[in-house]
Amino acid sequence: MDISRRNFIKASLGVASFFLTPMEIMALAAQAANGQTRRAGSKVFVIVQLAGGNDGLNTVIPYGAGAYYQARRELGIEQAKVIALNGKLGLHPNMQPLADLYAQKKLAIVQGCGYANPSRSHFRSIEIWQTGDPAKIADTGWLGRYLDFAQLEGGKSSGILLPAVNVDPILPKTLSANKVTVPSVSSVYDFRFRVDPKYPEDRAQQLEAFNDIYSNFNLRRPYVDLLRKVGLDANAASDYLLKVVRNYKGNQQYPENTFGRGLKFIAQMITGGVSSQIYNISLQGFDTHANQTRTQAALLKQLADGLSAFQADMEAHGVGSDVIVMTFSEFGRRVSENGARGTDHGTAAPLFVMGSAVKGGIYGDHPSLTNLDDGDLKYKVDFRQVYATILDRWLQADSHQILGAKFDTLSFV
Amino acid sequence: MSAKPNEQFWIEHLMRRAGFGATPDELKHYKSLGYHGTLNELLHPESIDNSKLERTIAEQGFDFLDPTDLKRWWILRMAFGKRPLEEKMTLFWHGHFATSNRKVRNAYAMYLQNLLLRKYALGNFHDLLLAISQDPAMIIWLDNQQNRKGSPNENYGREIMELFTLGIGNYSEADIKAAARAFTGWQTRHTDFFFNARQHDYGVKTVLGTTGNLNGDDVVSLLARKPQTGKHLAKKLITYYAVDEPQASYVNEVAAVYQASGGNMRRTVEAVFKHPDFCSEKSYHAKIKSPCELVIGTIKTLQITKLDGDLPSALARMGQDLFEPPNVKGWDGGQAWISTDTMMERFNFATRIAQDKFDAMEGYFSPSQLIYRQGLTNAKDVVDYFLNLLVDADVPESTRQRLIFYVSTSGQSREGKKATNQELLDAKLRGLTHLIMSLPTYQLC
Repeated sequence: MDISRRNFIKASLGVASFFLTPMEIMALAAQAANGQTRRAGSKVFVIVQLAGGNDGLNTVIPYGAGAYYQARRELGIEQAKVIALNGKLGLHPNMQPLADLYAQKKLAIVQGCGYANPSRSHFRSIEIWQTGDPAKIADTGWLGRYLDFAQLEGGKSSGILLPAVNVDPILPKTLSANKVTVPSVSSVYDFRFRVDPKYPEDRAQQLEAFNDIYSNFNLRRPYVDLLRKVGLDANAASDYLLKVVRNYKGNQQYPENTFGRGLKFIAQMITGGVSSQIYNISLQGFDTHANQTRTQAALLKQLADGLSAFQADMEAHGVGSDVIVMTFSEFGRRVSENGARGTDHGTAAPLFVMGSAVKGGIYGDHPSLTNLDDGDLKYKVDFRQVYATILDRWLQADSHQILGAKFDTLSFV
Repeated sequence: MSAKPNEQFWIEHLMRRAGFGATPDELKHYKSLGYHGTLNELLHPESIDNSKLERTIAEQGFDFLDPTDLKRWWILRMAFGKRPLEEKMTLFWHGHFATSNRKVRNAYAMYLQNLLLRKYALGNFHDLLLAISQDPAMIIWLDNQQNRKGSPNENYGREIMELFTLGIGNYSEADIKAAARAFTGWQTRHTDFFFNARQHDYGVKTVLGTTGNLNGDDVVSLLARKPQTGKHLAKKLITYYAVDEPQASYVNEVAAVYQASGGNMRRTVEAVFKHPDFCSEKSYHAKIKSPCELVIGTIKTLQITKLDGDLPSALARMGQDLFEPPNVKGWDGGQAWISTDTMMERFNFATRIAQDKFDAMEGYFSPSQLIYRQGLTNAKDVVDYFLNLLVDADVPESTRQRLIFYVSTSGQSREGKKATNQELLDAKLRGLTHLIMSLPTYQLC
């Protein structure tokens, strides 16, 4: 179908036509299936949320600083075990695969990311990072606003069935948008419209009835429009995604855990030509108030093994320079360990940006370990500078419009 | 709404909210009591004999050391208990004091916590807050085991203020640090509370403007009587039971009952259901069913007696993994229940309930027997019967017409053979049930 005509109809009605009819959806799915897919060379961005507040100081370790070992008498990682990046900084011992990518200049580390007057509440700080707005409670996410922007710009995500894909069970606020609804698909094999196996011939009739009913379901109740849209999307996307996954060819080994499987699914969608520009995934469990060492070590291993497998897979499929991955967490943790071999909620922390198109290296200054704000690090890089860099320099969007202010960009991409 | 709402209409609404829906027999009973009689019975669970449920549970021989058995146990309680509001409040508190066995890793401690939440379900909030502060699963969950004199762990001190009582913005970082000190030494030993005096900080602390040698009991008392706590709880209760975005006046009225009654939850919850906004167009079918409401409501409405062992994982895939909430904030609820993923799970749950899994006698339910008992013979009556039963007939006319068309269209049975009438009828009735359970309205509460 003609996308520009759809936009014309929308414009002439003066309202955003929120719904696609089943025929439109099928036409779009067919488009995708027929190879009208992600344009070669168009940019993809994968965002990885480290949920719970990752301890930045034990991830990118200032092993050259005595103050680090003074604050971390139990949790400090011995110099000999740290994977040195330079004379001052090194990575956690379980992150060798990321150290290798750093050596290949495919990994950027942005130090000391945070914001003024930091919230130490998980939920408020997650919201701030996800919406990009520390001042007020925003309704949309920073990437959701990007998707809205891309739709207005015409064509980038307009009328597309899968403008972005969230592979977690719950849609994060990062992807809340006004004009675009982002689907969540955590397991493609569970994601199918099933009918009674005893009467398989009835499936077509049921699907037809379902689509007719949903397209005409006009009922004035809260949530009905949302349910209608999500129900239609779910059915339209399910057959298509299953096909994409079945067509994937590759022999990259991913770690056998939820995070590894999620990254593999993202790789299958990217290499299978799904039009999405944005993918979201999370790794849970970083809230290490007690007995941090083992928990964090296991998580960082999952992170490093998963990300390096993903990068290798992208390169093997010849799309390494189309994709970058960024990690973030709601906050780092207190400089001083607590009495439970753990750390309490803190503030600024480093984040990673990975990809063949990334200019590897270290960006931003390391916050002082002694000049603290009530026991916490003072941020050096406003996290919105990182967002602005991704938006302006990678996604070719207008960060000023999306973030509501102008932020200096960094040069990691 | 299908017809002019009458008292019976609002009793059904009340049961969808204060309980998990109701079986046809239960509805008959509640309708005989009237709205206020029903509410009164719901608010006094101790007056209702629940021994049949306890016998059923005893027959199952659950192993409370097994996390999956624990989940099945609770589902059984929700589905077959006779004290729906007590169970619904227990689920509310589980979402409020959200503790996950993924970290606690002790199903028995989770079981004990669940008993505690049920015991205080409609009791005094102060007593519940104190009990939960001394609950072994909570102590493990928020690391209070490691909260020691001289090196406090702030986790409990923070969440008790941010999530359990005052709400964000009503305390300072210094309050959190001081509260953490007050809870030092509150530990667990052998799945019991243990006050470790050697690890308790007896020094002077200032919490929310009160200074002294405060301990955990003092902080609990301080927090429970703050008006912000009443407001926080009132808003959460109203969004759980009534409407997602309540008017300020609704919240204030319920909060005032909390304050005036000294945190009496029976009175506070009663105020939620007695408010005019509850029985109003604003509230009717205006909330999204939680996965528990969807699954248990289906079991009740269709009078399903056979519960599958994997219902806990079906709930988890829909986004409500019992005893394993996503984080200490619990389930967000509302719109957050709905994504393409969870919607597909809801559709597939409908398929599974509707399908002829076993033989007709042993399946979840037999639609053909149901319509036979109702004496229904034509497509229109059958569609209307199921629309009434499952979605209160709250659908556009186009939906009704399309369903009648679906049921009237003959299909082919497998291997290309013409279906026998019996087989075709069964297939169509099951397909109809599947389609109605997949409607937007079926997701509404």
